Amino acid sequence: MSWVGLILVFSLVDNVILSRLLGISPRAAGEKNARAALWLGVSTAVLMGVSALAGWAIDTMVLEPLRLGFLRTPAFVLSVAGLAYLLEAMAVRISPLLVRTSGFSLSGVALNCATLGIVLLTTRGSYTAAESLIAGLAAGSGFMLVRALMTAISERLEIERIPRAFRGFPLELISAGLMAYAFMAFDRAFLARMLGG
Amino acid sequence: MTPSDVLSRGIARDNPTAVLLVGLCPAAAVSVRVIDSLWMSAGIFAVMLLSSFCMTLLARGRTNGGEMTPRAAAGGWLAALVISSFLTASFELVLLRAAPEASAALGIYAPLIAVNCLVLTVIDETSRAPSPGRALLDAAGKGAVFAACLLLIGVLRETLGAGTMTLFPLPGFSGTIEIGSLSQDPARAISFAGGGLLCLGYLAALARMVKERRP
Repeated sequence: MSWVGLILVFSLVDNVILSRLLGISPRAAGEKNARAALWLGVSTAVLMGVSALAGWAIDTMVLEPLRLGFLRTPAFVLSVAGLAYLLEAMAVRISPLLVRTSGFSLSGVALNCATLGIVLLTTRGSYTAAESLIAGLAAGSGFMLVRALMTAISERLEIERIPRAFRGFPLELISAGLMAYAFMAFDRAFLARMLGG
Repeated sequence: MTPSDVLSRGIARDNPTAVLLVGLCPAAAVSVRVIDSLWMSAGIFAVMLLSSFCMTLLARGRTNGGEMTPRAAAGGWLAALVISSFLTASFELVLLRAAPEASAALGIYAPLIAVNCLVLTVIDETSRAPSPGRALLDAAGKGAVFAACLLLIGVLRETLGAGTMTLFPLPGFSGTIEIGSLSQDPARAISFAGGGLLCLGYLAALARMVKERRP
């Protein structure tokens, strides 16, 4: 698969939220602070990219040669948690004020199904190290894009008259469902034809 | 609080899928067929129950006069991750041996049980429970509700989206029940990813409506 194809597939066609239904939580669209949302989005994309690369390294350099495939799940879970801890420590060192004011936590993202899901998808897809990194970053960008769209939709819906039972998370889920149908337009065959591959 | 109160707390008030709104990822993703919902429920139920039991035993040594120290709490999270991931790996191996088709159908969603929000939340809550028995009852109540919700979503999506109900095959029974004219002309959109999100959204709204009407 070409680099452009890989980016388009992981960010739009196989979007981690809308196609794989990973990383949905009541807080998914609740970010009101634009700066904090951007900071969290970029951190998530970086975490997904680095985790996918680490997953490739663990799988091909340790688990496969030692025939320890049954330890994939614990190995990936602990590597993602460790990487999230390291990245969070780095973020605190780079910009402590922004981390404190945005109140974001990469540990929460690490325990989110989306990051582990990307690691599992890239290792099962037999990608190279560079492809895994790109796929992870693309998936993170897709995650960030959908979160931004969900935030925009929930802002619009705040001024509408909505039955009480549907307010908040139920309506966000329904909006995400309708968005998932719209994203089905990004079809693999359509993109392949468009890119000439 | 009696054991039946502990069990009913999970069933009546802390509805995990619709009200607590956690553990949504696998709930929506694998509920395309009833049989996949059943396998996923079984996996989550087993991992949740066993992890809770292990964590309660570990928590006994981590408290200091009834209060948990911050270091013990952090260690507890790591222990919860290690225990849940190893139990999930065990479930994957059992599933692969017992039902290879189900293992293939669950795909990446079986390993994701290890970081399922519901499993981790229940482990965290039950590690503070006074006794392993009570922790197990609490986890069993929540697991039962989760399984029921997942089964409901699975039945809805497969019935409307494919016009069938896929169960375990038996001698003389293929395992698939065709539902009248729905199987000829199903609403396929429900079986897509968007259909799962729509089902969950309506289920969450229904649960809120029921909760608000309760005196």
